[in-house]
Amino acid sequence: MSKLSEIWRRVGMLVRGEVFARELEEEMRLHKDLKEQELVADGVDAREARYAANRQFGNAMNLRERGSQAWGWEWIEHFMQDVNYGVRGMLRSPGTTLVALLSLALGIGANTAIFSLTDAVMLKSLPVKDPAGLILFGSGLDQGISDGFPNPELYSYPFYREMQKRNQVFSDVAASFSMIDHVHGFIEGQSEAEAMNIQLVSGTYFPMLGVHAAAGRMLSEEDDRKKGERPVAVVSYAWWTHSLARDASVLNKKLTIGPTVFSIVGVAPPEFFGTKVGETPDIWIPLAMQKEIPPGWDGYQDSMFESLHLMARLKPGVTITEASADSNLLFQQILHGLSGVPLNPENLQQLDKTRVELNSMATGFSRLRYEFSEPLKILMSVVGLVLLIACANIANLLLARSTARARELAVRQALGAGRSRLIRQLLTESLMLALAGGALGVAFAAWASHLLSRMVLDGRDALQLNVGVDMRLLLFTLGVSLATALLFGTIPAFRATRLTLADSLKEGRGQSNAPAKGRLATALVVSQVALSLVLLVTAGLFVRSLVNLTNVDTGFNPGNVIRLGIDASSAGYKEDTRLVDLYRRIEERVNALPGVRASSFSIFVFNEGTWNNSIWVQGYLSGHRDVTVFHNAVGSDYFATMGIPLLAGRTFGPQDTATSPKVGVIGETMARTLFPSGSPIGQRYGHGGPEHSSDIEVIGVVKDVKYWSLDENPKAGDYLPYTQNMRYLKDFEVRYLGDTAAMTSAIQQTIHEVDRTLPISDVMTLDEQVARSVTNQRLLAQLSTFFGLLAIFLSCVGIYGLMSFVVTRRTNEIGIHMALGADRGKVVRMVVSGAMLQIGVGLLIGIPVALAGGRALAHQLFGVKSYDPAVLSAAAGLLVISALVAGLVPAMRAASIDPMNALRIE
Amino acid sequence: MNREELLPGTLHLLILKTLARNQQMHGYEIARSIQQISQDVLQVEEGSLYPALQRMLIKGWVKAEWGATAENRRARYYRLTAAGRKQLEVEKAQFDRVIQAIARVIQTA
Repeated sequence: MSKLSEIWRRVGMLVRGEVFARELEEEMRLHKDLKEQELVADGVDAREARYAANRQFGNAMNLRERGSQAWGWEWIEHFMQDVNYGVRGMLRSPGTTLVALLSLALGIGANTAIFSLTDAVMLKSLPVKDPAGLILFGSGLDQGISDGFPNPELYSYPFYREMQKRNQVFSDVAASFSMIDHVHGFIEGQSEAEAMNIQLVSGTYFPMLGVHAAAGRMLSEEDDRKKGERPVAVVSYAWWTHSLARDASVLNKKLTIGPTVFSIVGVAPPEFFGTKVGETPDIWIPLAMQKEIPPGWDGYQDSMFESLHLMARLKPGVTITEASADSNLLFQQILHGLSGVPLNPENLQQLDKTRVELNSMATGFSRLRYEFSEPLKILMSVVGLVLLIACANIANLLLARSTARARELAVRQALGAGRSRLIRQLLTESLMLALAGGALGVAFAAWASHLLSRMVLDGRDALQLNVGVDMRLLLFTLGVSLATALLFGTIPAFRATRLTLADSLKEGRGQSNAPAKGRLATALVVSQVALSLVLLVTAGLFVRSLVNLTNVDTGFNPGNVIRLGIDASSAGYKEDTRLVDLYRRIEERVNALPGVRASSFSIFVFNEGTWNNSIWVQGYLSGHRDVTVFHNAVGSDYFATMGIPLLAGRTFGPQDTATSPKVGVIGETMARTLFPSGSPIGQRYGHGGPEHSSDIEVIGVVKDVKYWSLDENPKAGDYLPYTQNMRYLKDFEVRYLGDTAAMTSAIQQTIHEVDRTLPISDVMTLDEQVARSVTNQRLLAQLSTFFGLLAIFLSCVGIYGLMSFVVTRRTNEIGIHMALGADRGKVVRMVVSGAMLQIGVGLLIGIPVALAGGRALAHQLFGVKSYDPAVLSAAAGLLVISALVAGLVPAMRAASIDPMNALRIE
Repeated sequence: MNREELLPGTLHLLILKTLARNQQMHGYEIARSIQQISQDVLQVEEGSLYPALQRMLIKGWVKAEWGATAENRRARYYRLTAAGRKQLEVEKAQFDRVIQAIARVIQTA
């Protein structure tokens, strides 16, 4: 209590500041006057009395200070003075201040942003109960539906049930469909169809994760007992927010998806986004309802419909190794006993060789992680180097400043400033710089992490990342830069205040500690140059990779093609002749549009997914199990639309109908590998088993195309006419001439004239789609270039600063040289050669480091060697030129020195 | 004028005791009172008096109020608080203990 009121009184004094000082003064004046009166009364001469009173009182200023010191606030006063002085000092050299602040902000901001993204993609634990106890069967990288046997990545529903029933090591097992279903459905009371991302999950999914509803209930085992029985849905908190505006009556709402009406039974908690990082489903529906969700998969009871990611929670005390042994044993037992599994000798032999790998699922799983973990690690190293360069820069700037102030410090010391007070002041100034830079860095980090996640996701709206600025790393980088500022801001402070005053005052420019400063600064600049070279080489390699990638021949011509996603399944179409008719009519109508050259439906074009399996070729006994063929079902104008050249035979035409003989067009790689002898035209093959090996007749050969990525090897591929493969084709491509925007809306209008209810999504040009496939390479190239240039800039500032310092320090010497007849050119050469020496040493150190670093990047490079001499010499050249410019400015200044003036200085 | 150095730590005690004897006093009166009662042996330095008063204000032992002197000049008058009275007892007891201890040491020949 008394302590508290004491603090209160102290604060009161601080607030009253001015008044307080005045009152104290008045009080002491009274004292002095009374004393004087008393002395006069005692008979002392008036003047003598005043003198005595004053003498006895001592130094009034001193006394007043001690009076207010009692309250313990003088440090604030000093601090404010320091801050004031520091701000004035910073404003006096705005260039230096700006560069220091920018270096800090970029260093701190970039590190925090990249780490935040890394954290979101790779490190963050799932927002569920005890995530450390969760494991995933397989890697989680595969998605789709497989009928390959056996498959340790994707599992069938019957397998999941058996594993759940028979295992000894898991407290529960759950399954989720490996793909999100992108459908269009209706919210009750709304007439427009809305895009919805649906995740099918087992009834055990939420109980196993330990996720509890924010409203209503989550799905349970009861919802997943019988096929098609319970049309219930749980919606995500984000979806509830943006599609229902957090309508409180959400639990009474119905969703119509396809022909089925689903009841919303719950809302997931806000932090739960799913188990797959980067994918955020809107709606979770039990796997038992999979046939009701377009496109209507029917694999609930099919042992060969391998489509699920399998996950489980370890029983307490069970290790992942123990669980792995049990799971592998069960994997064999279950697949040997599961009905519907074709146990031919070949399959049994395969099964014998297959092992299930269990992985921790504490941080979820992700294809995004697979794609981006290495680029992110590389970027993390890059920004780490940038931070180092930024710190070196700040160190240099502060060193230069405090050295230039050696004389000022000496003067202030001579006037009675305490050493600790001076050091404290320099400390305050460094601290201010670091904190201001830090604040800018925080702002930059927030902006940059947003930008970065947009770059990573690259408009893929199905993907979403939960990126927040990471506080730990923010504090860490802030700490590093604070430490740098304090260290390099105060080392010279200590040194300067230890000087023998007389020397320092005499020498004026602080030469007594100049050589030491010069050495430290030179070392900093040399390391900056070395680090910059590493960053530049990295940037050069990535830029060349990107250029090489964009020059890759895709096999098709991506210019002037619009691609649209059309969801016929959500509009109620079945995979039958009506669907084929719809596709044909849309193609005809769109082809009739002015400016349209050709159009065609297909399952996909590029970087969207693949449909691949083994094929059997007539005349081979064992089939071609090991040759995977990539299929596509397309319209007859597909090759014209995509600009894929025909090499032999013909493409599809009106003669290829549902009832005519089955035909196929194959790629050149498939022709070469599967039909090596003679022309493949007229040869036969088929999918689905040896008994189908004469189903399809080859009618044409076309050029190979890329399926998933630009850097993939040539793949064996074939095309089938959709008239003979009635299935949903989500992609519609149009080759056109003219204005893209006008064409896009004309096409959409035409489609809706055919069927108003058809949902259209993901409209973009094929060029954009191709560009999107190199997102991470582009990310690497852009960011590393940005940071490389930043590094050069910072290094040049460092070189400029050092050279300016050298020139200032050697003004006398230069003056003498010139007085003795040295021409200006010689002076310039003298200064510039000093700069060149540092760059030379920096390059000598940097080149081996860059070479070693390049080797670590080899995985991410395409068509360029990590020791590419062109990149290396370009980087070195750029550095040398920039450094020359940076050194030339002070050199010119040195050359313009008037010898007489120079000699007169000091 | 024969001046004695104040024993360290006794200034607070002297001020507290002086204020205890009188309702309220300003700084000069306090100094004079100590000087007179000690028959000019103890003289409080103004340089220590005012910082000491500030410290005692912080501690809450005294309260200050502006008033007018007999000659109608503004002066800051100090008076003892309850906490100050308690502190006086504490310091007196402490002082007595120290004095007795010193006396014992000196008298033990």
